[in-house]
Amino acid sequence: MAAANPKITADAIEATEFMDLSRKYRVTGVPKTIVNETIEILGGLPEQDFVRAALGMPDEDQPKVQL
Amino acid sequence: MGLLSPQDETVLKEHLSAITKPVSLLLFTQAFGGSESGTIAKTILDEIAALNDQITVVEKSFVLDTEDKAKYGVDKTPAIVILSDGDDTRMRMYGAPVGYEFVGLVEAIVVAGTGKIDLDPQTMAWIQAVDEPMHIQVFSTPT
Repeated sequence: MAAANPKITADAIEATEFMDLSRKYRVTGVPKTIVNETIEILGGLPEQDFVRAALGMPDEDQPKVQL
Repeated sequence: MGLLSPQDETVLKEHLSAITKPVSLLLFTQAFGGSESGTIAKTILDEIAALNDQITVVEKSFVLDTEDKAKYGVDKTPAIVILSDGDDTRMRMYGAPVGYEFVGLVEAIVVAGTGKIDLDPQTMAWIQAVDEPMHIQVFSTPT
């Protein structure tokens, strides 16, 4: 996602090495994704589901971007 | 002996052969108070770089290289910042790139070195419509 848009920064963090951060974000299972400190995504998701979740798009929402 | 087996190297070299642009891997570590993972990260990056002439490893000091640290927003070590032809890809890795992290690192290097992002058009359109700063942190473990 970061490679596709200059507004986006993506960090991959080794959870056991940064325990303070893991505690801060209550990482009890992996993968766990935190977006802008507000959105949490647990586990691995299919590509579209992951991006929708990261962008805060509701499940029933229709795509807002026309191709 | 290296961390990568000869078989791993063969597969990885083939995978990295798609790269057409220079990729720089900036590795931020600290000599004092740093963890062993910084040394592991250095070994892994060097072994990857040895497989493709387009990939270079640049060591940075978390303590001394304050300008670069601020430029790339690095706030912990070990940190790997991936540049594509000198440009920041905004893809970072924190911690030793082993296990699943290693797979992610290799994929990030290929994206940086090819400019090709393997996402479906709809997903790509959603991502490209983002117009506010977005910070994604993905936590994982080596196994």
